[in-house]
Amino acid sequence: MVSLSLWEADIISTVEFNHTGELLATGDKGGRVVIFQREPESKNAPHSQGEYDVYSTFQSHEPEFDYLKSLEIEEKINKIKWLPQQNAAHSLLSTNDKTIKLWKITERDKRPEGYNLKDEEGKLKDLSTVTSLQVPVLKPMDLMVEVSPRRVFANGHTYHINSISVNSDCETYMSADDLRINLWHLAITDRSFNIVDIKPANMEDLTEVITASEFHPHHCNLFVYSSSKGSLRLCDMRAAALCDKHSKLFEEPEDPSNRSFFSEIISSVSDVKFSHSGRYMLTRDYLTVKVWDLNMEARPIETYQVHDYLRSKLCSLYENDCIFDKFECAWNGSDSVIMTGAYNNFFRMFDRNTKRDVTLEASRESSKPRAVLKPRRVCVGGKRRRDDISVDSLDFTKKILHTAWHPAENIIAIAATNNLYIFQDKVNSEMH
Amino acid sequence: MEFKLEAHRIVSISLGKIYNSRGQRGGIKLHKNLLVSLVLRSARQVYLSDPCPGLYLAGSPVPPPQPGEPAAGPPAGWGEPPPPAARAAWPEPETPPERPAGPDARRAVDAEPAAPGAGDTLQGGEEPAGGAAAEEEEMETGNVANLISIFGSSFSGLLRKSPAGGREEAEAEESGPEAAEPGQICCDQPVLRDINPWSTAIVAF
Repeated sequence: MVSLSLWEADIISTVEFNHTGELLATGDKGGRVVIFQREPESKNAPHSQGEYDVYSTFQSHEPEFDYLKSLEIEEKINKIKWLPQQNAAHSLLSTNDKTIKLWKITERDKRPEGYNLKDEEGKLKDLSTVTSLQVPVLKPMDLMVEVSPRRVFANGHTYHINSISVNSDCETYMSADDLRINLWHLAITDRSFNIVDIKPANMEDLTEVITASEFHPHHCNLFVYSSSKGSLRLCDMRAAALCDKHSKLFEEPEDPSNRSFFSEIISSVSDVKFSHSGRYMLTRDYLTVKVWDLNMEARPIETYQVHDYLRSKLCSLYENDCIFDKFECAWNGSDSVIMTGAYNNFFRMFDRNTKRDVTLEASRESSKPRAVLKPRRVCVGGKRRRDDISVDSLDFTKKILHTAWHPAENIIAIAATNNLYIFQDKVNSEMH
Repeated sequence: MEFKLEAHRIVSISLGKIYNSRGQRGGIKLHKNLLVSLVLRSARQVYLSDPCPGLYLAGSPVPPPQPGEPAAGPPAGWGEPPPPAARAAWPEPETPPERPAGPDARRAVDAEPAAPGAGDTLQGGEEPAGGAAAEEEEMETGNVANLISIFGSSFSGLLRKSPAGGREEAEAEESGPEAAEPGQICCDQPVLRDINPWSTAIVAF
């Protein structure tokens, strides 16, 4: 088996805030999960204004070998999803290409002391020295975070898992691979229900695959999945056991003037996210982000160009495989701003109300503590301002595929290859 | 004409990707391979439907007359070293059109751009510098050669079918592309005869 170089294993492959925003989980190519916790803001230490520190690190998945197919199974964490917190412990689901695992994260800050039969190091006491009985008491200790695997949901998928989504009922979740979507119960690992199957009888007839899926945030019977053809299908689990027939099909007709060899690739949806309100969906394809209204299937209500200057470079981007990059997208807490990544460590934000957009860069130089991010601009010929970057000098190896937005506040997490940037907007919550 | 050249280039890049995907860690990525095969299909359609003279594969200085081709025949300058712009995307710009036999697939690639005027229409931003291009193209055409042996001789219109895996002789090339009608499958393996060669990319996995 080929193992990853030390550098490659650190490449962040997913980023996810929990439901309160107190915790931030990242997964990487080496199968590890790192959880950050936000320090509570305190007047005593004004410098640590709610910053995120490492809370726990654990190895979630290991590389495996499928002997039957002679295939290596990558340990890369494709997605992490937090479960809503139901008690003192936190739980999350992490998945690689084939196996989903449920992890429980607990804190231990007390330990019992004063045992009768063993001493503080745990060694059995000489009974002749024991003259009286004592009741062990709990004494405080340094905080220890313990992570344990509670469930392993294996053998549910033939193809590569691309997404998982926890249902609002907090009892079930779904996992999607290229051709199928399965519904699991969080407590049952030995079976799952197949709810979508788009595998054709003859694989030669294959024309599209599932690229992402998500449960509706409020209606536990509804979910959406996106396809490589650029369409979205909203499915209702009450309608039938096998949701091959969609309730709604969201599809925008192709613009014939933009047709090229690569039209199909760039229309493939790489990510789909419901808005917090549940009224809208956000999709990302190679060049745009689109907002869809659940009540309108014919076309998106808003389309934003992420990096349209790449449209004339598609052939080169096909050659160097960049055209296959899967960018994610995110809503802010109030669904008024959407965010997505791009190349050269740039990421873009679009304010849906003011229709203004901004390009920012995640880099060490621009990210000294409390520095203000400077808007960047890509120039496409013509007049060039001083700090502009020309399209030809963009670094396509620096791509921001994974971004996350705090559920309530203006705090964003940006994964730039093997670095995690967390930006907080302290001054105001409005977009400039 | 420009579409035909670009189409062929895209075909060879796509085949290279499919070939390389077989060795990828984690197994073949179905999504990516599907997209590549769709590009392959589009490029092949353009390649076969572009009504311009076929791409002669051995740099023969006097291409045979084509049906539908204007009386002027191939554009002037055929057989001469093409303008530098045309060669920028292909290796070895100084090589004259007729060269000693090299790697099989490379001949196919090198001989094609001997059509002046093609260079003008190649997309400006995508031509690597000469030296780098030589190495890049070498790898890609090497992949094409490998794929040809994998898929048998199911490539019609690109290379003439030959038991040696594609080696052409200059004098036998007169009827090259015309002998293979678009869509005709030249294949010595009966089982593949009925399968569209491009869709075998998916089936092969």
